[in-house]
Amino acid sequence: MLLKKLFIIFILSCSCLLTYAQEVDLNQMLEEEQKKEEKDKIHYTEATFKSTRIINGHSIEVTQKGIMDFRIAHRFGTINGGFYDLFGLDNASMRMSFDFGLTPRLMVGVGRSTYQKQYDAFFKYKLLRQSSGKRNMPVSLAWMSSAMLQTMKWTDTTRPNYFSSRMYYAHQIIVARKFSESTSIQIMPTLVHYNLVKLAGDPSDVIAIGIGGRQKVSPRVSINAEYYYQIPGYQMPNTTNSFSLGVDIETGGHVFQLHFTNSRGMTERTFISETAGKWGKGDVLFGFNISRVFTLKKNKKK
Amino acid sequence: MRLVQIIVILWICCSAFVQPVIYTTNNGIVTFRSEAPFELINATSKELKGALDLSKNNFAFRIRIRSFEGFNSPLQKEHFNENYMESEKFPEAVFNGKIIETIDFSKKGKYTIRAKGKLIIHGVEQERIIKSDVEVTDKGIRISSVFSVLLSDHNIPIPRIVKEKLANEINVSIQTELFAK
Repeated sequence: MLLKKLFIIFILSCSCLLTYAQEVDLNQMLEEEQKKEEKDKIHYTEATFKSTRIINGHSIEVTQKGIMDFRIAHRFGTINGGFYDLFGLDNASMRMSFDFGLTPRLMVGVGRSTYQKQYDAFFKYKLLRQSSGKRNMPVSLAWMSSAMLQTMKWTDTTRPNYFSSRMYYAHQIIVARKFSESTSIQIMPTLVHYNLVKLAGDPSDVIAIGIGGRQKVSPRVSINAEYYYQIPGYQMPNTTNSFSLGVDIETGGHVFQLHFTNSRGMTERTFISETAGKWGKGDVLFGFNISRVFTLKKNKKK
Repeated sequence: MRLVQIIVILWICCSAFVQPVIYTTNNGIVTFRSEAPFELINATSKELKGALDLSKNNFAFRIRIRSFEGFNSPLQKEHFNENYMESEKFPEAVFNGKIIETIDFSKKGKYTIRAKGKLIIHGVEQERIIKSDVEVTDKGIRISSVFSVLLSDHNIPIPRIVKEKLANEINVSIQTELFAK
Protein backbone atom coordinates (compact mmCIF):
# COMPACT_ATOMS: atom_id res chain seq x y z
CA MET A 1 0.00 0.00 0.00
CA LEU A 2 2.74 2.41 0.93
CA LEU A 3 4.61 1.56 -2.18
CA LYS A 4 1.56 2.30 -4.24
CA LYS A 5 1.10 5.66 -2.52
CA LEU A 6 4.68 6.60 -3.13
CA PHE A 7 4.32 5.62 -6.74
CA ILE A 8 1.28 7.83 -7.24
CA ILE A 9 3.04 10.74 -5.57
CA PHE A 10 5.99 10.22 -7.78
CA ILE A 11 3.89 10.21 -10.96
CA LEU A 12 1.96 13.31 -9.94
CA SER A 13 5.00 15.31 -9.04
CA CYS A 14 6.54 14.29 -12.31
CA SER A 15 3.59 15.57 -14.31
CA CYS A 16 3.64 18.75 -12.22
CA LEU A 17 7.22 19.31 -13.13
CA LEU A 18 6.53 18.62 -16.76
CA THR A 19 4.06 21.46 -17.09
CA TYR A 20 6.69 23.86 -15.81
CA ALA A 21 9.63 22.52 -17.66
CA GLN A 22 8.43 23.11 -21.18
CA GLU A 23 11.77 24.10 -22.59
CA VAL A 24 10.92 24.05 -26.27
CA ASP A 25 12.28 25.69 -29.32
CA LEU A 26 9.12 27.13 -30.82
CA ASN A 27 10.50 27.29 -34.30
CA GLN A 28 11.53 23.68 -34.21
CA MET A 29 8.17 22.71 -32.80
CA LEU A 30 6.35 24.35 -35.71
CA GLU A 31 8.71 22.82 -38.21
CA GLU A 32 8.08 19.33 -36.92
CA GLU A 33 4.36 19.92 -36.90
CA GLN A 34 4.52 21.09 -40.48
CA LYS A 35 6.52 18.07 -41.59
CA LYS A 36 3.90 15.82 -40.06
CA GLU A 37 1.14 17.63 -41.95
CA GLU A 38 3.04 17.56 -45.23
CA LYS A 39 3.01 13.79 -45.14
CA ASP A 40 -0.77 13.77 -45.19
CA LYS A 41 -1.01 16.15 -48.12
CA ILE A 42 -0.62 15.47 -51.82
CA HIS A 43 1.83 17.74 -53.57
CA TYR A 44 1.27 17.90 -57.29
CA THR A 45 4.25 18.79 -59.39
CA GLU A 46 3.74 22.02 -61.25
CA ALA A 47 5.44 23.59 -64.23
CA THR A 48 7.23 20.57 -65.64
CA PHE A 49 7.63 22.66 -68.78
CA LYS A 50 7.17 26.38 -69.28
CA SER A 51 4.81 25.98 -72.21
CA THR A 52 2.33 23.51 -73.65
CA ARG A 53 4.83 22.82 -76.46
CA ILE A 54 8.44 21.81 -76.10
CA ILE A 55 9.34 23.07 -79.57
CA ASN A 56 7.17 21.58 -82.30
CA GLY A 57 5.45 18.89 -80.30
CA HIS A 58 3.33 18.90 -77.20
CA SER A 59 4.73 18.94 -73.70
CA ILE A 60 2.94 17.42 -70.71
CA GLU A 61 1.53 20.80 -69.73
CA VAL A 62 -2.07 21.77 -70.39
CA THR A 63 -3.35 25.33 -70.60
CA GLN A 64 -4.78 26.22 -67.23
CA LYS A 65 -8.51 26.40 -66.67
CA GLY A 66 -10.18 29.55 -67.93
CA ILE A 67 -7.12 30.62 -69.88
CA MET A 68 -6.86 31.25 -73.59
CA ASP A 69 -3.44 30.87 -75.09
CA PHE A 70 -2.88 32.67 -78.38
CA ARG A 71 0.14 31.25 -80.16
CA ILE A 72 2.00 32.42 -83.21
CA ALA A 73 4.74 30.21 -84.55
CA HIS A 74 7.11 30.99 -87.40
CA ARG A 75 9.58 28.81 -89.24
CA PHE A 76 11.91 30.51 -91.66
CA GLY A 77 13.73 28.89 -94.57
CA THR A 78 16.81 26.73 -94.24
CA ILE A 79 19.88 28.65 -93.18
CA ASN A 80 22.04 26.96 -95.83
CA GLY A 81 20.23 29.14 -98.40
CA GLY A 82 22.94 31.60 -97.51
CA PHE A 83 22.90 35.35 -97.83
CA TYR A 84 20.71 35.25 -100.97
CA ASP A 85 17.75 34.19 -98.76
CA LEU A 86 19.17 36.08 -95.78
CA PHE A 87 19.75 32.70 -94.14
CA GLY A 88 16.16 31.65 -94.59
CA LEU A 89 14.38 34.78 -93.42
CA ASP A 90 12.87 35.26 -96.89
CA ASN A 91 10.79 32.10 -96.65
CA ALA A 92 8.60 32.17 -93.62
CA SER A 93 5.77 29.81 -92.85
CA MET A 94 3.58 30.26 -89.85
CA ARG A 95 0.97 28.66 -87.67
CA MET A 96 -1.54 30.60 -85.66
CA SER A 97 -3.57 28.92 -82.98
CA PHE A 98 -5.91 29.37 -80.08
CA ASP A 99 -5.68 26.99 -77.17
CA PHE A 100 -8.18 26.86 -74.34
CA GLY A 101 -7.99 25.33 -70.90
CA LEU A 102 -11.40 23.83 -70.15
CA THR A 103 -10.70 22.04 -66.88
CA PRO A 104 -7.52 21.74 -64.86
CA ARG A 105 -6.75 18.58 -66.85
CA LEU A 106 -8.25 19.17 -70.31
CA MET A 107 -7.23 21.55 -73.05
CA VAL A 108 -8.41 21.93 -76.62
CA GLY A 109 -7.02 23.98 -79.46
CA VAL A 110 -7.44 24.90 -83.08
CA GLY A 111 -4.83 26.17 -85.50
CA ARG A 112 -4.08 27.05 -89.09
CA SER A 113 -0.71 26.58 -90.75
CA THR A 114 0.32 28.28 -93.97
CA TYR A 115 2.38 25.17 -94.74
CA GLN A 116 0.08 23.06 -96.97
CA LYS A 117 -2.82 25.32 -95.94
CA GLN A 118 -3.56 23.04 -93.05
CA TYR A 119 -6.17 23.34 -90.32
CA ASP A 120 -5.81 21.36 -87.16
CA ALA A 121 -7.67 20.70 -83.96
CA PHE A 122 -6.59 18.74 -80.93
CA PHE A 123 -7.30 17.88 -77.33
CA LYS A 124 -4.91 16.94 -74.57
CA TYR A 125 -5.99 15.33 -71.33
CA LYS A 126 -3.82 14.84 -68.29
CA LEU A 127 -4.54 11.37 -66.92
CA LEU A 128 -1.94 11.23 -64.16
CA ARG A 129 -0.19 13.97 -62.31
CA GLN A 130 3.23 13.55 -60.79
CA SER A 131 2.93 13.97 -57.04
CA SER A 132 4.64 13.41 -53.74
CA GLY A 133 3.48 13.31 -50.14
CA LYS A 134 0.46 11.17 -49.35
CA ARG A 135 0.21 9.90 -52.90
CA ASN A 136 3.45 9.16 -54.62
CA MET A 137 3.24 9.26 -58.39
CA PRO A 138 6.58 9.23 -60.16
CA VAL A 139 5.37 10.51 -63.55
CA SER A 140 2.69 12.57 -65.23
CA LEU A 141 0.80 11.06 -68.12
CA ALA A 142 -1.26 12.74 -70.81
CA TRP A 143 -3.15 11.71 -73.91
CA MET A 144 -3.11 13.94 -76.97
CA SER A 145 -5.12 13.43 -80.14
CA SER A 146 -5.19 15.74 -83.10
CA ALA A 147 -6.89 15.87 -86.47
CA MET A 148 -5.37 17.73 -89.38
CA LEU A 149 -7.05 18.90 -92.57
CA GLN A 150 -4.95 19.87 -95.52
CA THR A 151 -6.69 22.17 -98.00
CA MET A 152 -4.33 22.35 -100.97
CA LYS A 153 -5.94 22.16 -104.44
CA TRP A 154 -6.24 18.62 -105.71
CA THR A 155 -3.24 17.72 -107.82
CA ASP A 156 -5.20 15.32 -109.99
CA THR A 157 -8.75 16.45 -110.68
CA THR A 158 -9.47 13.66 -113.13
CA ARG A 159 -9.87 11.02 -110.46
CA PRO A 160 -12.49 11.00 -107.70
CA ASN A 161 -11.26 13.04 -104.74
CA TYR A 162 -12.82 12.59 -101.34
CA PHE A 163 -12.86 15.00 -98.45
CA SER A 164 -11.61 12.25 -96.17
CA SER A 165 -8.43 12.05 -98.23
CA ARG A 166 -7.45 15.40 -96.83
CA MET A 167 -7.59 14.21 -93.25
CA TYR A 168 -4.74 13.04 -91.03
CA TYR A 169 -4.79 12.00 -87.41
CA ALA A 170 -2.18 11.78 -84.68
CA HIS A 171 -2.41 10.13 -81.28
CA GLN A 172 0.18 10.53 -78.62
CA ILE A 173 0.86 9.37 -75.10
CA ILE A 174 3.08 11.68 -73.11
CA VAL A 175 4.92 10.39 -70.07
CA ALA A 176 6.85 13.08 -68.25
CA ARG A 177 8.85 13.45 -65.11
CA LYS A 178 10.20 16.55 -63.48
CA PHE A 179 13.43 15.21 -62.02
CA SER A 180 14.39 18.37 -60.27
CA GLU A 181 13.47 22.01 -60.15
CA SER A 182 15.36 22.55 -63.39
CA THR A 183 15.37 19.24 -65.25
CA SER A 184 12.37 17.57 -66.90
CA ILE A 185 12.24 14.78 -69.45
CA GLN A 186 9.33 13.25 -71.32
CA ILE A 187 8.78 10.36 -73.73
CA MET A 188 6.07 10.47 -76.38
CA PRO A 189 5.08 7.32 -78.31
CA THR A 190 3.13 8.64 -81.28
CA LEU A 191 0.98 7.24 -84.07
CA VAL A 192 0.30 9.33 -87.16
CA HIS A 193 -2.43 8.04 -89.44
CA TYR A 194 -2.81 8.98 -93.12
CA ASN A 195 -6.16 8.46 -94.79
CA LEU A 196 -4.45 8.75 -98.15
CA VAL A 197 -0.76 8.34 -98.85
CA LYS A 198 1.11 9.42 -102.00
CA LEU A 199 2.28 6.01 -103.15
CA ALA A 200 0.76 2.59 -102.73
CA GLY A 201 3.90 1.42 -100.91
CA ASP A 202 3.82 4.19 -98.30
CA PRO A 203 2.67 3.17 -94.83
CA SER A 204 -0.59 4.76 -93.77
CA ASP A 205 0.46 4.53 -90.13
CA VAL A 206 3.69 6.06 -89.00
CA ILE A 207 4.91 5.11 -85.54
CA ALA A 208 7.44 7.25 -83.78
CA ILE A 209 8.92 7.59 -80.33
CA GLY A 210 9.68 11.07 -79.20
CA ILE A 211 11.91 12.26 -76.41
CA GLY A 212 12.02 15.78 -75.16
CA GLY A 213 13.49 17.63 -72.24
CA ARG A 214 14.31 20.92 -70.71
CA GLN A 215 17.06 22.26 -68.54
CA LYS A 216 16.49 25.53 -66.75
CA VAL A 217 19.44 27.88 -66.78
CA SER A 218 17.73 30.60 -64.76
CA PRO A 219 14.23 30.87 -63.27
CA ARG A 220 12.94 32.38 -66.51
CA VAL A 221 15.11 30.76 -69.17
CA SER A 222 15.36 27.12 -70.16
CA ILE A 223 17.05 25.15 -72.91
CA ASN A 224 14.83 22.61 -74.66
CA ALA A 225 15.47 19.73 -77.02
CA GLU A 226 13.11 17.40 -78.82
CA TYR A 227 13.70 14.37 -81.04
CA TYR A 228 11.25 12.07 -82.81
CA TYR A 229 12.53 8.69 -83.93
CA GLN A 230 10.42 6.99 -86.61
CA ILE A 231 10.33 3.23 -86.11
CA PRO A 232 11.86 1.57 -89.21
CA GLY A 233 9.13 -0.18 -91.17
CA TYR A 234 6.58 2.39 -90.07
CA GLN A 235 8.51 5.30 -91.49
CA MET A 236 7.65 7.50 -94.46
CA PRO A 237 10.22 6.91 -97.19
CA ASN A 238 12.74 9.70 -97.87
CA THR A 239 12.16 11.46 -94.59
CA THR A 240 14.45 12.16 -91.68
CA ASN A 241 13.81 12.25 -87.98
CA SER A 242 12.88 15.58 -86.51
CA PHE A 243 15.38 17.16 -84.14
CA SER A 244 14.98 20.57 -82.60
CA LEU A 245 16.97 22.60 -80.14
CA GLY A 246 15.70 25.77 -78.56
CA VAL A 247 15.46 28.17 -75.71
CA ASP A 248 12.39 29.30 -73.74
CA ILE A 249 12.25 32.79 -72.35
CA GLU A 250 9.39 33.71 -70.08
CA THR A 251 8.32 37.25 -69.30
CA GLY A 252 5.05 37.83 -67.46
CA GLY A 253 2.21 36.54 -69.63
CA HIS A 254 4.45 35.73 -72.61
CA VAL A 255 6.62 32.77 -73.41
CA PHE A 256 9.09 33.20 -76.27
CA GLN A 257 10.51 30.04 -77.73
CA LEU A 258 13.41 30.46 -80.15
CA HIS A 259 14.80 27.40 -81.83
CA PHE A 260 16.61 25.66 -84.63
CA THR A 261 14.93 22.65 -86.21
CA ASN A 262 15.09 20.56 -89.35
CA SER A 263 11.28 20.42 -89.62
CA ARG A 264 9.28 22.91 -91.61
CA GLY A 265 5.84 21.83 -90.42
CA MET A 266 4.44 22.53 -87.01
CA THR A 267 1.77 19.86 -86.64
CA GLU A 268 2.31 16.21 -85.73
CA ARG A 269 1.98 14.95 -89.29
CA THR A 270 4.23 17.54 -90.87
CA PHE A 271 7.11 17.37 -88.41
CA ILE A 272 7.09 13.77 -87.22
CA SER A 273 6.58 11.99 -90.53
CA GLU A 274 7.39 14.57 -93.19
CA THR A 275 10.63 16.16 -92.07
CA ALA A 276 13.02 16.34 -95.00
CA GLY A 277 15.92 18.42 -93.73
CA LYS A 278 19.19 16.96 -92.52
CA TRP A 279 21.11 18.69 -89.74
CA GLY A 280 24.40 17.50 -91.21
CA LYS A 281 23.73 19.28 -94.48
CA GLY A 282 22.66 22.48 -92.82
CA ASP A 283 18.98 22.06 -93.68
CA VAL A 284 18.18 23.78 -90.47
CA LEU A 285 15.49 26.40 -90.00
CA PHE A 286 15.33 29.14 -87.47
CA GLY A 287 11.93 29.55 -85.86
CA PHE A 288 10.07 30.93 -82.92
CA ASN A 289 6.83 30.43 -81.02
CA ILE A 290 5.21 33.24 -79.15
CA SER A 291 2.58 32.44 -76.60
CA ARG A 292 0.37 35.05 -75.02
CA VAL A 293 -2.15 34.04 -72.41
CA PHE A 294 -5.43 35.78 -71.71
CA THR A 295 -7.58 35.15 -68.68
CA LEU A 296 -11.12 34.47 -69.84
CA LYS A 297 -12.58 33.56 -66.48
CA LYS A 298 -11.57 35.75 -63.59
CA ASN A 299 -11.01 34.27 -60.20
CA LYS A 300 -14.15 34.93 -58.21
CA LYS A 301 -12.30 35.10 -54.93
CA LYS A 302 -10.45 38.38 -54.66
CA MET B 1 -4.91 7.36 1.60
CA ARG B 2 -5.42 10.88 2.97
CA LEU B 3 -1.95 11.86 1.87
CA VAL B 4 -2.74 10.92 -1.66
CA GLN B 5 -5.95 12.91 -1.62
CA ILE B 6 -4.17 15.98 -0.36
CA ILE B 7 -1.56 15.73 -3.02
CA VAL B 8 -4.13 15.27 -5.75
CA ILE B 9 -6.06 18.32 -4.60
CA LEU B 10 -2.87 20.36 -4.34
CA TRP B 11 -1.85 19.33 -7.78
CA ILE B 12 -5.20 20.23 -9.31
CA CYS B 13 -5.15 23.64 -7.63
CA CYS B 14 -1.63 24.18 -8.81
CA SER B 15 -2.34 23.45 -12.40
CA ALA B 16 -5.49 25.54 -12.35
CA PHE B 17 -3.58 28.62 -11.33
CA VAL B 18 -0.63 28.18 -13.56
CA GLN B 19 -1.45 29.82 -16.84
CA PRO B 20 -0.57 27.64 -19.79
CA VAL B 21 2.60 29.00 -21.26
CA ILE B 22 2.48 27.98 -24.88
CA TYR B 23 -0.13 29.31 -27.27
CA THR B 24 -0.35 28.09 -30.82
CA THR B 25 -2.31 28.43 -34.05
CA ASN B 26 -2.51 26.43 -37.25
CA ASN B 27 -4.75 28.54 -39.39
CA GLY B 28 -3.72 32.15 -39.20
CA ILE B 29 -4.47 34.35 -42.18
CA VAL B 30 -1.76 36.09 -44.14
CA THR B 31 -2.60 38.41 -47.01
CA PHE B 32 -0.22 40.27 -49.24
CA ARG B 33 -0.88 42.99 -51.73
CA SER B 34 1.22 44.49 -54.45
CA GLU B 35 0.05 47.86 -55.72
CA ALA B 36 1.80 48.72 -58.96
CA PRO B 37 0.66 51.32 -61.50
CA PHE B 38 -0.71 48.74 -63.95
CA GLU B 39 -1.63 45.83 -61.78
CA LEU B 40 -2.97 45.02 -58.37
CA ILE B 41 -2.11 41.60 -56.99
CA ASN B 42 -3.70 40.02 -53.92
CA ALA B 43 -3.08 36.63 -52.41
CA THR B 44 -4.05 34.99 -49.14
CA SER B 45 -3.06 31.95 -47.18
CA LYS B 46 -4.93 30.47 -44.25
CA GLU B 47 -2.11 28.22 -43.19
CA LEU B 48 -0.07 30.44 -40.93
CA LYS B 49 1.40 28.49 -38.07
CA GLY B 50 2.35 30.34 -34.94
CA ALA B 51 3.53 29.69 -31.43
CA LEU B 52 3.96 32.00 -28.48
CA ASP B 53 5.83 31.13 -25.29
CA LEU B 54 4.55 33.45 -22.59
CA SER B 55 7.15 32.42 -20.06
CA LYS B 56 9.97 33.62 -22.23
CA ASN B 57 8.23 36.18 -24.41
CA ASN B 58 9.30 34.15 -27.44
CA PHE B 59 7.39 33.65 -30.64
CA ALA B 60 7.69 31.82 -33.95
CA PHE B 61 5.63 32.03 -37.14
CA ARG B 62 5.89 29.97 -40.26
CA ILE B 63 4.03 29.85 -43.57
CA ARG B 64 4.19 27.58 -46.57
CA ILE B 65 4.69 29.74 -49.67
CA ARG B 66 2.72 27.41 -51.93
CA SER B 67 -0.36 27.82 -49.75
CA PHE B 68 -1.00 31.32 -51.11
CA GLU B 69 -4.11 31.52 -53.27
CA GLY B 70 -5.80 34.33 -55.12
CA PHE B 71 -3.71 36.13 -57.72
CA ASN B 72 -5.08 37.37 -61.02
CA SER B 73 -4.55 34.14 -62.92
CA PRO B 74 -3.29 30.61 -62.34
CA LEU B 75 -0.27 31.50 -64.43
CA GLN B 76 0.56 34.33 -62.08
CA LYS B 77 0.49 31.92 -59.18
CA GLU B 78 2.82 29.62 -61.06
CA HIS B 79 5.23 32.47 -61.73
CA PHE B 80 5.02 33.54 -58.10
CA ASN B 81 6.17 30.10 -57.02
CA GLU B 82 8.53 29.34 -59.88
CA ASN B 83 10.22 32.63 -60.69
CA TYR B 84 9.92 34.93 -57.73
CA MET B 85 9.68 32.98 -54.49
CA GLU B 86 11.36 29.83 -55.83
CA SER B 87 9.11 27.80 -53.52
CA GLU B 88 10.83 24.54 -54.33
CA LYS B 89 14.12 25.84 -52.93
CA PHE B 90 12.60 28.02 -50.21
CA PRO B 91 9.29 26.41 -49.29
CA GLU B 92 8.60 28.54 -46.23
CA ALA B 93 8.77 32.01 -44.83
CA VAL B 94 9.66 32.23 -41.15
CA PHE B 95 9.58 34.94 -38.49
CA ASN B 96 10.83 34.21 -35.01
CA GLY B 97 12.18 36.17 -32.11
CA LYS B 98 11.16 37.94 -28.94
CA ILE B 99 8.54 40.45 -27.91
CA ILE B 100 10.27 43.62 -26.71
CA GLU B 101 7.58 44.73 -24.24
CA THR B 102 6.73 42.65 -21.22
CA ILE B 103 3.01 42.20 -21.07
CA ASP B 104 0.94 40.57 -18.44
CA PHE B 105 -0.87 38.07 -20.58
CA SER B 106 -3.05 37.01 -17.68
CA LYS B 107 -4.92 40.32 -17.91
CA LYS B 108 -7.52 40.74 -20.58
CA GLY B 109 -7.18 43.74 -22.83
CA LYS B 110 -5.60 45.27 -25.88
CA TYR B 111 -1.92 45.93 -26.18
CA THR B 112 0.43 47.17 -28.85
CA ILE B 113 3.70 45.34 -28.94
CA ARG B 114 6.84 45.26 -30.98
CA ALA B 115 8.06 41.89 -32.15
CA LYS B 116 11.75 41.75 -32.81
CA GLY B 117 13.24 38.89 -34.71
CA LYS B 118 14.51 37.32 -37.87
CA LEU B 119 12.25 37.41 -40.90
CA ILE B 120 13.33 34.84 -43.45
CA ILE B 121 11.73 35.08 -46.89
CA HIS B 122 13.21 33.60 -50.06
CA GLY B 123 16.06 32.28 -47.94
CA VAL B 124 17.21 35.77 -47.04
CA GLU B 125 17.25 36.76 -43.38
CA GLN B 126 16.36 40.27 -42.27
CA GLU B 127 16.34 41.60 -38.73
CA ARG B 128 12.95 43.24 -38.28
CA ILE B 129 10.91 44.95 -35.61
CA ILE B 130 7.22 44.55 -36.43
CA LYS B 131 4.46 46.35 -34.59
CA SER B 132 1.44 44.28 -33.74
CA ASP B 133 -1.87 44.67 -31.99
CA VAL B 134 -2.47 42.01 -29.41
CA GLU B 135 -5.73 41.31 -27.67
CA VAL B 136 -5.92 38.95 -24.77
CA THR B 137 -9.37 37.38 -24.48
CA ASP B 138 -10.97 34.62 -22.45
CA LYS B 139 -10.17 32.05 -25.06
CA GLY B 140 -6.84 33.04 -26.43
CA ILE B 141 -4.58 35.72 -27.80
CA ARG B 142 -5.59 37.61 -30.91
CA ILE B 143 -2.84 39.11 -33.05
CA SER B 144 -3.19 41.44 -35.99
CA SER B 145 -0.41 43.19 -37.74
CA VAL B 146 0.27 45.15 -40.91
CA PHE B 147 3.75 45.63 -42.24
CA SER B 148 5.62 45.84 -45.48
CA VAL B 149 8.28 43.71 -47.05
CA LEU B 150 10.68 45.01 -49.69
CA LEU B 151 11.39 42.51 -52.42
CA SER B 152 14.85 44.00 -52.79
CA ASP B 153 15.53 43.16 -49.11
CA HIS B 154 14.99 39.50 -49.86
CA ASN B 155 16.86 39.20 -53.09
CA ILE B 156 13.76 38.93 -55.29
CA PRO B 157 14.55 40.86 -58.45
CA ILE B 158 11.80 42.44 -60.55
CA PRO B 159 12.45 42.04 -64.28
CA ARG B 160 12.32 45.38 -66.09
CA ILE B 161 9.42 44.22 -68.26
CA VAL B 162 7.10 43.84 -65.26
CA LYS B 163 8.31 46.96 -63.37
CA GLU B 164 4.94 48.61 -63.85
CA LYS B 165 3.04 45.50 -62.76
CA LEU B 166 4.82 44.50 -59.59
CA ALA B 167 5.59 46.74 -56.64
CA ASN B 168 8.84 46.46 -54.75
CA GLU B 169 7.03 47.22 -51.52
CA ILE B 170 4.59 44.45 -50.66
CA ASN B 171 2.00 45.10 -47.99
CA VAL B 172 1.46 42.16 -45.69
CA SER B 173 -1.27 41.76 -43.13
CA ILE B 174 -1.65 39.07 -40.54
CA GLN B 175 -4.73 38.02 -38.59
CA THR B 176 -4.67 35.15 -36.18
CA GLU B 177 -5.79 33.88 -32.82
CA LEU B 178 -3.61 31.64 -30.71
CA PHE B 179 -4.96 29.20 -28.21
CA ALA B 180 -3.38 27.46 -25.23
CA LYS B 181 -1.72 24.27 -26.18
